[in-house]
Amino acid sequence: MEYVEQGFNVAQSSPIIEFRGVSKTYQTGTHALEDVNIKINSGEFVFVVGSSGAGKSTFMKLIMREEKANTGKILVNGFDLTSMKRKSVPMLRRTMGIVFQDFRLIPNMNVFDNVAFAMHVVGADSRNIRREVTKALSLVGLGHKARSMPNQLSGGEQQRVGLARALVNSPDLIIADEPTGNVDPNMSYEIVSLLTEINKRGTTVLMVTHDHNLVRDFNHRVIMLDGGKIVADNFGGDL
Amino acid sequence: MKFSSVRYLVKEGVKNTWTNRLMTIASVGVLIACMVIIGVAAIISENVNVAMGNLEKQNVVMAYMKDYSWALYGNGADNKTESDETADKNGIRPSDYVIHNEKEAKALCDKIAKLSNVASVEFVSSEEGLKTATESMLESQKEYFTFLEGEGENPLPCAAKVSMKDMSLFGQTVKEIEKLEGIDVIQSNSGLAEKLSAIKQGVTVAGAWIIAILMIISLVIVSNTIRVTMYTRKLEISIMKAVGATDSFVRIPFIVEGMLIGLISALFAEGLLYCCYRIATETIIKTFGEVIPFGVMAWQLLALFVIIGIASGVIGSVIIISKYLRKEGSEFAAI
Repeated sequence: MEYVEQGFNVAQSSPIIEFRGVSKTYQTGTHALEDVNIKINSGEFVFVVGSSGAGKSTFMKLIMREEKANTGKILVNGFDLTSMKRKSVPMLRRTMGIVFQDFRLIPNMNVFDNVAFAMHVVGADSRNIRREVTKALSLVGLGHKARSMPNQLSGGEQQRVGLARALVNSPDLIIADEPTGNVDPNMSYEIVSLLTEINKRGTTVLMVTHDHNLVRDFNHRVIMLDGGKIVADNFGGDL
Repeated sequence: MKFSSVRYLVKEGVKNTWTNRLMTIASVGVLIACMVIIGVAAIISENVNVAMGNLEKQNVVMAYMKDYSWALYGNGADNKTESDETADKNGIRPSDYVIHNEKEAKALCDKIAKLSNVASVEFVSSEEGLKTATESMLESQKEYFTFLEGEGENPLPCAAKVSMKDMSLFGQTVKEIEKLEGIDVIQSNSGLAEKLSAIKQGVTVAGAWIIAILMIISLVIVSNTIRVTMYTRKLEISIMKAVGATDSFVRIPFIVEGMLIGLISALFAEGLLYCCYRIATETIIKTFGEVIPFGVMAWQLLALFVIIGIASGVIGSVIIISKYLRKEGSEFAAI
């Protein structure tokens, strides 16, 4: 399928992410990715696994356009990231929700405001914010904790707030960078179950993880990186 | 940008100012000090200018004309070799002098008035000149000069009392008056004029430098406060960037904060300066006489402070946050 070279959301169908011969070498000389070719279709749930230094973070940073590839072409959600100008980056990020390993909640804002914050950024009006935030918090099972402060929540609950924040703008793609890294095993299963539930509603999920049990148990597509190259691309059950 | 976003961002800016209140108070304090010094410099400069202006008005030039009295004292007759004109009882012929009557003298005054740097010209007849000269004498001396009041005894020619607009052009204007036909001699205090002009210029230049330097200091102070706020809000900025905030969205609360700091400082500085000026003028008036009332300058000073405050707030925050966003602002995942 054809994407436009310069621009914006013109072809909203699969694949949602496409890497064509992408390489990334940092100024320090580190070769993070080498000739990566991959397609992730819209509506897929993909685990990205690999040891430290395998290129997972660079892979995610390139998708979020935090870094630029040296060679090759990256297409995300209809945006051509290789020719994209800096001022267009916010538009790309509004099509994705990001979940961080360390939750990244603003400590002096309550749960509701932490989620609403993402909607203020995109210029939503207050009525819309109230409705959508309430919906997102109910979806992650935290409707009753809207007025709680982050430090009053457990790690799992904090991560669910982070998930609600990523979801509230109804993105096409959720990028979760080791979302279970700071929560206990039970809560990890809950988080991935929640992500699977979200995926079933049509949102593409890309999740970086080190937890092989999760990968095996949830049986989604797995992309394995090693030394900056894709060394495996199959299903969790095959691992 | 939508109105709801602007409202939200302004609210955030105000909230940040309060959250970061210790730093805000410190910045406001230093900014007030800067603004008060700027205000003092402006007030001194203005007062000196007014005082100098008053002195300048008193520093008039007397341009004496070639009239009958001038010829009487041998100035004209010597130059004439032959003439068929009849000399009067004093041996003076009409061609011995240039200004023959008051009409001609006033016409010469009009010519002087047309010179570009001349503010006003007042005709002073020889009688008025003598009267003024006599009045300035001590009573005991006056009786020695009573003979001057007799007909044809007044030695003073008629004159033009000239005041100038710009004292820095004093010398040039005097030369222009001298060139006019009918002018004999000019009596002036060119040294005083030059000094007044130099003092005025010096005070203006010094005032401008003080204001410029303190404006830069104000800019640095506000920039530092914004820098601190920015680093304390690094997490928030990284989340903003991650969820698709534009650079202007990130920037606006900081600009609002900078503007608020500037505005609060401006209001306090104005109040403080008013109090200081009142106390100071009570002493100054007793010693030096009149000073400009604060009310005359109040609005200009407030406008100056508000402009300095808001400009340093806006420029300072824009510089700092833009630099941050260019360098680190998009690295939200690495925090």
